[in-house]
Amino acid sequence: MDFKQRILSAVNHEEPDRVPILGLIAEPATSNKILGRPPADMASMVMNPEMKGMIKDIINSGWKDLVYGNFSDALEAAVKMGFDANWMTYTSMEVIGNAEVEQGMHMHDITGRVWEMIGKEDGNIVMNYINGLCPTEEKWYAWAEEKGPFIDGFAKDAADFYTKLEDNYADWLLPIGYTSMSIFESSWQCMGFVNFIKCVYQKPDFIKDVIAFYTEFYLKYLEAIMQCDGDLVIGGDDLGQKTGPIMRPDLIEKLLGESYRRVSELIHRHNKKLIWHSCGNIYAFLDKFVEWGFDGVFTLEPTAGMELGKVREQVGHKLVLVGNLDVSYLLVKGTREEVESAVKQSIKDAARGGGYILSASHSHTSVDPTRLEWMIEAAHKYGKYPIAV
Amino acid sequence: MSNSVLEEIMVKMLDLDMEGSKKIAQLVVEGDGTTNILDAVNAVANSLQIVGRRFQDGEWFLAELVYAGEIAKEVMNILSPYMKAGPSNTVGTVVVGTVAGDLHDLGKNIFISYAQSAGLNVIDLGIDVPTNKFISSVKEHRPLALGMSCLLTSTDAEIGKVIEALKRENLRDKVKVIVGGAALTEGFARDVGADAFAPDAVTGTDIIKKWGA
Repeated sequence: MDFKQRILSAVNHEEPDRVPILGLIAEPATSNKILGRPPADMASMVMNPEMKGMIKDIINSGWKDLVYGNFSDALEAAVKMGFDANWMTYTSMEVIGNAEVEQGMHMHDITGRVWEMIGKEDGNIVMNYINGLCPTEEKWYAWAEEKGPFIDGFAKDAADFYTKLEDNYADWLLPIGYTSMSIFESSWQCMGFVNFIKCVYQKPDFIKDVIAFYTEFYLKYLEAIMQCDGDLVIGGDDLGQKTGPIMRPDLIEKLLGESYRRVSELIHRHNKKLIWHSCGNIYAFLDKFVEWGFDGVFTLEPTAGMELGKVREQVGHKLVLVGNLDVSYLLVKGTREEVESAVKQSIKDAARGGGYILSASHSHTSVDPTRLEWMIEAAHKYGKYPIAV
Repeated sequence: MSNSVLEEIMVKMLDLDMEGSKKIAQLVVEGDGTTNILDAVNAVANSLQIVGRRFQDGEWFLAELVYAGEIAKEVMNILSPYMKAGPSNTVGTVVVGTVAGDLHDLGKNIFISYAQSAGLNVIDLGIDVPTNKFISSVKEHRPLALGMSCLLTSTDAEIGKVIEALKRENLRDKVKVIVGGAALTEGFARDVGADAFAPDAVTGTDIIKKWGA
């Protein structure tokens, strides 16, 4: 069985030869470490006030090539490590000059969000959401009118990105397209959470317009991945926080249910399967995921209380489970025994009958490639079907 | 002030009715006595306690917690100018900030809004707070607790630096340390030498109130 057959078998809830393993490699320093290349010094340049102008020009003029290069390296690293698949995601950002930013740089993305780009000591670059460009209704409508026309161009660039990576790597592993700028997150992050919540209660028609805008954006973004031959797509929206849902599931249904159904319909129309990414504690949404037509769930954040066994018990084989080795300690500083034990437990909890793909619970700059090697070794050791752990 | 008006404040707040809550608060300040204002303030605090319980019981979620906090803020903006200064009945003081290198304030602000409603006096140091600012604030305010928020794993080491600095300044046994934020876990809090980990604003507030009891 090759990697593609292995993954497809698992997502069809059949037992492959062994549990497939998904890589979430995305960070340049991690890729360089795996590929044995000298570390690029982008991180210190990003933090160096004298270099910022040059970095800004490089990023803004060559963004598409930079993102492609980043994921080309990530896929190559994943192939070298022996992953069956790795994700790839296209985003669009522009560096904004801001003398008041002492650390790193600020960037604006195509959905109206502001990000900080910080260089880390290990050479990786971290992107963190800061706030939105549209704190008021007026500002959002003005922004949407100005930026709306750019969405088709973005979708075309995204399609080029996904298909080119697939063309270059699909013989070696399954590159899985991930649409990381999603509907709920873009809707609240473009204006900030407190503003969004106030508008949900006070300006429901405005919020309806916002969600409709990002739904159309997201569908076009997904269409870009539909150009690929791959049978699997990762979509997502963070619907949980550490202890439970960010918003009541019935309110999410009211605001976003129709959008999510349209997402599933689009994917299924192209005969592909949709794995849904959400961080946080999302037990309350699992049945909704089934109802919305999602085929699988991914992340299952262990530090938010998500346990594979409990999830399997709740949803049975209505969803493919993908995850969920901890990236706060286990894959950063865990011992070989701890990693092996966690892999064994995950396989025991979720792999019987297929419908399970082993992976880290998230990408993370601190994840150590050696721990990933241990994870893969343990998956080979305990993941052979029929499962015997 | 009649009990029915006070009850109405609570009903409107728990219905998450911003305009209705503000209207009742306006009626209260147009009344004729300071005591009545304090009763109304207590009704706001009681409402937020119920919101907190609903959040902890899993009936309400972050969105409701945030919006109820926003309603309370608006209602207090109406009531506060009419309150006369009286003896402080604060449960204790807590100094709060987001650690150096981290510019996020959503979790911290939700905590502050809830902690204040629960009777804690909060000193907010803001975001990207350097170690020496945490230390000088602890020296100045002698708080019951120091709360540090951290969303990023890239900055979680800052928490350890602050705790080490507290030790160097002989302040560690004089202040409890509580940490929270997306990057953190119970295990991290234990390893770094904090006294408690707060997975959410309500739990964090309850822990600090117990320390002050």
